[in-house]
Amino acid sequence: MADIELLDVSIRDGNQSLWGATGMTTAQILRIAPVMDRVGFRALDFTSSTHMGVAVRTHRENPWERIRLTRAATPNTPLQFIGTGFRFISWETVHPELMRLAYERLVAAGMSRFVVLDPMHDMDAVRASARTLRGAGAEEIIAALTFTISDVHDDAYYAGLAAQMAACPHIDRVYIKDPAGLLSPERARTLIPAVRARLAGTPLELHAHCTIGLSPLTYMAAAELGVEVLQVACGPLANGTSLPNAQRVAANLRELGHTVDVDDRLLALVADYFSRLAAAESLPAGAPAEYDAAFLRHQVAGGVMTTLRRQLGELGLADRFDEVIDEVVRVRAELGFPIMVTPFPQIVCSQAFNNVIGAERYGNVPDQVIRYVLGRFGRPTAPVDPDVRDRILSRSRAAELAAEPPPLPPDELRKRFSPGIPDEELLLRATMPADQVDAMLAAGPARRHYNPDVKAILDLLRELRTRPAVQDIVVDKPGFRLSLRSAEAGGA
Amino acid sequence: MRLRRVLIANRGEIAVRIVRTCRRLGIETVLAVSAADRDALPARLADRTVPIGPADPAASYLDVDAVVGAALATGADAVHPGYGFLAENPLLAAACAAAGVVFVGPTETQLAAAGDKLAARRHAVAAGLPVLPGGEAGDVPAALRLAGEIGWPVLVKAAGGGGGRGMKKVTDQDELAGALGLAMAEAGAAFGDHRVYLERYVTSGRHVEVQIVGDGERVIHLGERDCSIQRRYQKLVEEAPAPRLGTAVRAGLHAAAVALGEHLKYRGLGTVEFLVDGDAFYFLELNARIQVEHPVTEAIYGIDLVAEQFAIAEGRPLRPALAALAAAAPSGHAIECRINAEDWTRDFRPGPGTVTRAAFPAGDGIRVDTHVQAGTRIPPQYDSLLAKLVVHGADRAEALARLRAALARCVIGGVPTTVPMHAALARDPEFAAGGVDTAWFPRFLDRALGHALDGALGHALDRAPDRALDRAPDGNGSGGGRG
Repeated sequence: MADIELLDVSIRDGNQSLWGATGMTTAQILRIAPVMDRVGFRALDFTSSTHMGVAVRTHRENPWERIRLTRAATPNTPLQFIGTGFRFISWETVHPELMRLAYERLVAAGMSRFVVLDPMHDMDAVRASARTLRGAGAEEIIAALTFTISDVHDDAYYAGLAAQMAACPHIDRVYIKDPAGLLSPERARTLIPAVRARLAGTPLELHAHCTIGLSPLTYMAAAELGVEVLQVACGPLANGTSLPNAQRVAANLRELGHTVDVDDRLLALVADYFSRLAAAESLPAGAPAEYDAAFLRHQVAGGVMTTLRRQLGELGLADRFDEVIDEVVRVRAELGFPIMVTPFPQIVCSQAFNNVIGAERYGNVPDQVIRYVLGRFGRPTAPVDPDVRDRILSRSRAAELAAEPPPLPPDELRKRFSPGIPDEELLLRATMPADQVDAMLAAGPARRHYNPDVKAILDLLRELRTRPAVQDIVVDKPGFRLSLRSAEAGGA
Repeated sequence: MRLRRVLIANRGEIAVRIVRTCRRLGIETVLAVSAADRDALPARLADRTVPIGPADPAASYLDVDAVVGAALATGADAVHPGYGFLAENPLLAAACAAAGVVFVGPTETQLAAAGDKLAARRHAVAAGLPVLPGGEAGDVPAALRLAGEIGWPVLVKAAGGGGGRGMKKVTDQDELAGALGLAMAEAGAAFGDHRVYLERYVTSGRHVEVQIVGDGERVIHLGERDCSIQRRYQKLVEEAPAPRLGTAVRAGLHAAAVALGEHLKYRGLGTVEFLVDGDAFYFLELNARIQVEHPVTEAIYGIDLVAEQFAIAEGRPLRPALAALAAAAPSGHAIECRINAEDWTRDFRPGPGTVTRAAFPAGDGIRVDTHVQAGTRIPPQYDSLLAKLVVHGADRAEALARLRAALARCVIGGVPTTVPMHAALARDPEFAAGGVDTAWFPRFLDRALGHALDGALGHALDRAPDRALDRAPDGNGSGGGRG
């Protein structure tokens, strides 16, 4: 029986998986952060460059300020940043010096735990990112073994990566990251021992989405197999395409005889808060997912699948959906089995879609697919099919994209803006449209107070403020009558 | 460690204040209540209550065994004593330690050092702080000799505690013997300690205190508060930062307070009180607790001092961000008014009773810490503090403007209150100019009472609340107030 720690992903991955990353404002986070800090979580998965972009774009809130305020509210619990090491906010590859600057500012703002994630498992890139992070002051660096099912991703493959991670002096911990929720308890029983055998004592964590309902069971197997930390989410931010529910996981682990040192009363408060927030903001709650055998074959996540179905429907080609899914499986193999984690599902699906609706396969190739084959997203796990590769790179557009100027270092970027621009603003301006950054700055500091229980009444009052013609308001319900009348209307 | 359940050994507005921070942090609250407070607002806000004795504070809020017993019986990890009652009693800290319960406050030794005013004076001298000429007055001949050295007039003070009890001003040697006897009797009754000491009496001075926070290793300051608006050594209005204070004096006060804290290896919140006389300042005393007036500091630094108390009680070092605040300039200006259930026109006579109506202002830069709502009983056994109205503005002028507007919207019925006095004070040009000394308020009071008795001002002062009452929807306050 083991001591198992929990790591909460509600604010970052839960929000991203279930609420499109747009679900949480600074005030909404600050309201619950001090309580989450005291639950006893190993860390809080807090933000990513995507989330930082959403803060600016959707909420007009400064993401750096959000990190600082949350850090002050969570003195006991490390905050985690997840990123790929080659891009920041925008989808373009950024200069390594700009990445270094971003990491330095993130550490200064209060992020202390960093995920090193290379979707291609390019170990040179992983080591370089870890080194840069350590240099920037990251306290804890955890490397991702991104799990998928393919001809090349067998236990030996992950064990080999684990050995390299264990040998890297800047990698403190390793986790199995299962973004599509494909890891079954049966596979866990071979994969986890194979990985642990090569980790030389480096602690192992597990992060598996609930997409087809496997992960709550897989977590119980993982606890027996020496995984030290299980990543979970709270209340309505758990289940669905998010991670297993913290309260359920804790209860199940204890049922099996393990110990979990979290404060159950506080865990319930956190779950309750997110439930009230979801209700007040009309956000969906994650529900336990049903098993879907076909998903193991195509691995296309729900969001991408929905988009694909809609696009085919708009073209009157809804009947060809199954054909596209079969093509997804084929294209993924030809492109070297990219793991179906953003941005690769979008890349594979767009090519499969073009292949099915076009006159011939690879007759039309989107830019992102060309960039992928050019190696802009890293080195593919398995080689791209040589015929497909030639077909794509022989296009004139490939030559244009190959000639794209390299990304600029911070000093060059600084010249494009004002010379005295603060680093934090530079990082936003270099990676986001100017009008979005301007709007964020014009909006001023983010609100710091939020209470889901008064959201409805505040909305009512705001609406009334926009309707000066309203003179009388009456709220009538059994045992309660509130009557308000404008003084200008004649008084009481 | 993480505190999960805290016993609050206090009542009134500070109990509500502590419950609020506990809620924000997710700490479960158990409120110790006397028989008089079982149905009070704090008792209804706390997660649970535990009775600790009758209304008489000596048998409840001042009973160390009852408090520690309540903590053990309810499985509390810690005791927060608030201010007053047992907050600075080393016996409570010792009893908590013996029972394995965390005391949210300084160490037993530090409480003893701060509580004995003569010991505190010795520590201040050892830490290099300036003190007023003075010393212990064991008997009349010794006191006469000492007073001769200090120069007249002198102030006789109790060694066992503060708050003005046992304090006497003596202008010449003929008065000394009588004053000494009176002070010793008063000190003995109030603190169980007859010892008194003499200090030179400073005719004009300002009362400025510095907030310190320590983790037992490191001590920082969080600026100062000016508490010169006092009546018989009871603070009525406090503000931060202190207006019209020289840069060197301000920096000197901060450095002196930190030096004393470092000398004591201080742990927790503390307040170092000084008398400021022009460019000179003198140590008065160290208060080893959270102060009534802590919200003005919270306002200008944007912090929660009760949360910092819990962090230190959990054994954590000072947050780097908190230390950074000490080095930075605070934001804006804050003023606090203590609204008491007293009749300011009748020598501030306490007016216990039942509050029939209570409506407080709200809005940007306004904070009200209170335990009062319609129906609240103000028992005669306890102090008469009803609420603290705290305003915060970008500068002192904005804070004052907010204060005037906020006071006009305070409606408290059923008991006499000091709201009209605060309203008159907030309009006073000398107060508005800032930086008055402790001798100023009695003069203001004479002037204001003169006007009030003339009727003109009194009528003007009472008009705003009256109008608000007239506009209220019904006559007895039932129904709407609880919604």
